[in-house]
Amino acid sequence: MNNADISVLLVDDEEMIRDCVSAYLEDEGFSVHCTASAEEALESIVSISPVVCISDLRLPGMDGEEFIARAHAISPSTGYMLHTGMLYILSDELRSIGMTADYVLLKPIHSLSKLVEKIKDIAETGRRL
Amino acid sequence: MPHNYAAEQIDQHKKALLDILDTLPSIIALVDRNGRVDLVNKRFEQFSGVSAADAKGLQLEALIPQFASDLQQVAAVIDRQSALDNARIQSGLGADMRYYSLQIYPLNSDVSGMAVIRIDDISELVRIEEIMAQTEKMIMVSGLAAGMAHEINNPLGAIMQHAQNIERRVSAEIPANFKAAAEVGVDLNLVRTYLQKRGIFDFIGHIRNAGIRASEIISQMLYFSSRNEPGVVNEDLTKVLERAVGLAATDYDMKKKYAFRSVEIVREYAVEPLCADIALQEIEQVLLNILKNAAQAISATAMSRQPQIILRTSTSGGMAVIEIEDNGPGMDEATRLRVFEPFFSTKEVGIGTGMGLSVAYAIVTKGHHGSIEVRSQPGEGSCFTLKLPLQGRG
Repeated sequence: MNNADISVLLVDDEEMIRDCVSAYLEDEGFSVHCTASAEEALESIVSISPVVCISDLRLPGMDGEEFIARAHAISPSTGYMLHTGMLYILSDELRSIGMTADYVLLKPIHSLSKLVEKIKDIAETGRRL
Repeated sequence: MPHNYAAEQIDQHKKALLDILDTLPSIIALVDRNGRVDLVNKRFEQFSGVSAADAKGLQLEALIPQFASDLQQVAAVIDRQSALDNARIQSGLGADMRYYSLQIYPLNSDVSGMAVIRIDDISELVRIEEIMAQTEKMIMVSGLAAGMAHEINNPLGAIMQHAQNIERRVSAEIPANFKAAAEVGVDLNLVRTYLQKRGIFDFIGHIRNAGIRASEIISQMLYFSSRNEPGVVNEDLTKVLERAVGLAATDYDMKKKYAFRSVEIVREYAVEPLCADIALQEIEQVLLNILKNAAQAISATAMSRQPQIILRTSTSGGMAVIEIEDNGPGMDEATRLRVFEPFFSTKEVGIGTGMGLSVAYAIVTKGHHGSIEVRSQPGEGSCFTLKLPLQGRG
């Protein structure tokens, strides 16, 4: 799959995180969409239909954990990743929709090229949730 | 007969007095103003190894020389008629280190001028005080650490990731860069040559490396303050210790910088398995950390004596006990008291983060309801003692 065909939805309330991650992913040729909240992301996820969605854990309003569970119900073909600054152990609900520790990204991501590999991995091997 | 009756009474009172003295938990001695023993109690006999009969008439400071400097004050105490109180005396070395309190009271009813010396072993009390002070500090620091780690991760992420973005936006591998450069009328290859010539690429590399170093400290801090409970297994601690030794032997730094393989490892293990419920990786991390510290410490004295680490396992009062003793340079009291403090490090900048032992402390005390202590004597080496609650294989 060509990177341009891979759409990525990035959910983070910190503008600087959205900026730096999306700049990198755009340079890689991905089609990147950003939202600052889970609520906004839920509104647009159907129209964007992202191949991969990366959500922050701590968000104002709905948190990343709940967001992914709800988003999965609306867009089950999307692969989800959780981006967190805390040591995080996956909830049973997220496990039940097939998420593993591989899809939990610990902030700060040292090397964005690893993130790119994971996105491609989800897209190409069809290891979607 | 009144005379005999009186003598009997005196004898009885004397016996009662001795009984009282023998019952008291303190070490007690009665001396004259020259420091000569008149009377001692049972505790004194046990402590000094000298019987009351043998002690009588001898110089007290010859019997218990560790208190000699205070005992020289006997005459002054009697003359001044005011008691001397030394709240903490450290005695003995290394594993035998104990703490005592000592008081000298003038006997004011006695015209001949006598003094009572009372000595108590307060080692346990001192130890508890130390642990309490340490625990309080740890609780406070771990709260601060969690909050700080959290707040720092996002800006740190932005710094590190934008450094990567900068590298890429001047990279010759991305066609869009040539396009954007052409739009503003510059040659990207010349821009790259300039950046190279002025060391800008190195600077960006430094920013990334600095970010990685900072983020490693942050992740250790998060670990230190986290309350999550990772998988717990019931495991024989002697085996865990052996595995940690194996890990230490394969660690790159340990091999290259500290020649871990040349360290003589002496094993004094308990015969029976010491099973405890532990988070395996955490305890391995703790043991590895102590072993690394030991290896680093003994590398400092390796020229003067064969580096040695003694590993002991045993049980004591329902606890599994692991001791890791090195024959390195040891540490002074001020250092010893601070080794479990976050960011306290005696190593050169960049070698230690100062987090290793504080993380170990949190893992053992908070995570495993155990204790971790260090004894040390400058010049003699250090010994870390880990205690973890024993639990049968269930």
